[in-house]
Amino acid sequence: MAPATPRSRGFAPPLLTVTLLLAAAFAAGGGCAAAAQEAADGPVSRGEYILRAAGCVACHSRSKEEEAFLAGGPALKTPFGTFYAPNITPDPEHGIGAWSEGDFRRALRHGQAPDGAAYYPAFPYPAYSGMTDSDVGDLWAYLRTVPPGPRADRPHELGFPFDLRVLNRVWQWLYFAPRRFAPDPERDEAWNRGAYLVRHLGHCAECHSPRGWLGALDPARELAGNPEGPDGKKVPNITPHREYGIGGWSETDLAFFFKTGFLPDGDVAGGAMEDVIRESTSKLTDQDRTALAAYLMALPPLALE
Amino acid sequence: MLEREAVYDMNRIIAALAVGLALGLAAQGAAAQSPENLVKYRQSVMKAIGGHTGAIAAVVKGEVAYGDHVAGHARGIKEMSLIVADIFPPESGPDGFKETRALAKIWAEPDKFKEAVTAFRKAAADFAEVAEGGDMAAIGDGLGALGKSCGGCHKPFRAEKE
Repeated sequence: MAPATPRSRGFAPPLLTVTLLLAAAFAAGGGCAAAAQEAADGPVSRGEYILRAAGCVACHSRSKEEEAFLAGGPALKTPFGTFYAPNITPDPEHGIGAWSEGDFRRALRHGQAPDGAAYYPAFPYPAYSGMTDSDVGDLWAYLRTVPPGPRADRPHELGFPFDLRVLNRVWQWLYFAPRRFAPDPERDEAWNRGAYLVRHLGHCAECHSPRGWLGALDPARELAGNPEGPDGKKVPNITPHREYGIGGWSETDLAFFFKTGFLPDGDVAGGAMEDVIRESTSKLTDQDRTALAAYLMALPPLALE
Repeated sequence: MLEREAVYDMNRIIAALAVGLALGLAAQGAAAQSPENLVKYRQSVMKAIGGHTGAIAAVVKGEVAYGDHVAGHARGIKEMSLIVADIFPPESGPDGFKETRALAKIWAEPDKFKEAVTAFRKAAADFAEVAEGGDMAAIGDGLGALGKSCGGCHKPFRAEKE
């Protein structure tokens, strides 16, 4: 490491040594107390929180090992084929190290790769398109600080005709329009924050809503469960319907579930929701978990199994 | 002579009875350890753990004011965590009795399974200590860590509900 250099030169003038040490500390990032202080509520740490709230980790990391962090995801099996989320570390060759912030914004907001190709909606950009400018900026700032993971992306394994990437353009033309989040002045702050978390960052509807034959979500049945979710698993209805949904839960039950993974009966979440709790909701503030719960419990109850 | 033979016969009868009794007990023992019974026993233990966590959750959420019960429930979970490793004998897998959500992966990847069980045992011991302290905020956070260790097994090794 750099600090070893000045120390090994026994005859270096003290001032030069100090300068070199300081430079090394800054280069190491956060080595200086003042810098660390500033970072505590700066864009990078805010971005780390956005990363958690947006549930990026589970899909973009194939295992819990440190070197796998955001360096490309495990198989996501869908009725259209198997997707592998790409490496989003700053590795210049295998990750997004060569991207500009504008490239990143276009990906989240418009589902568009830097080369202009359209992404598959397995990447939940329709939800992310409603992210605020500052959240996108903070997330980008954080992602630049992640250790680069030198792992090449694994190509998706899709059946015909879904393997024709160019059709994503058609899909976008049919089903996609960027959404902006506009708070509802009729509702309170918790509901609005919950709406932003559920519908945009948390992209809950992506797994918890049924999809049409081309994989588009049905807005009339949003969050009413998906009989054919990822990995062929049934994903539950999370509208507050007493019989089919979570109408028997209290807001406290939900917030507690997001924190601990425990269901009201003392059982624990398994499946994909275990990932969501471990990597996302358990790392949020109590305030945000309460907001998530408030929004979900205020949804119209939908009677769908 | 006759008497002797009678005694001899008597011994043979006793021996035969003893052997018969032993075999009978053994057979009964085997029946008691049927895969079905092993699965049901395991489910009872898991329900006991779930019952304790559900009760603690009700206190932490403020639904009931039994704060002084939490440490007892936590000790219950800790006790159960010590026997979890025992209740997965190979014959209790889905091949032995299909009405179990335990996945065959438990026995195919014993090291990973053991690691997850050990993590649970540690989390249960840590949580019992926190619960002894009686600080509700710490108990709430501790429950999060405990839940993570439950999920650490249930996610990879338990089939999802149909």
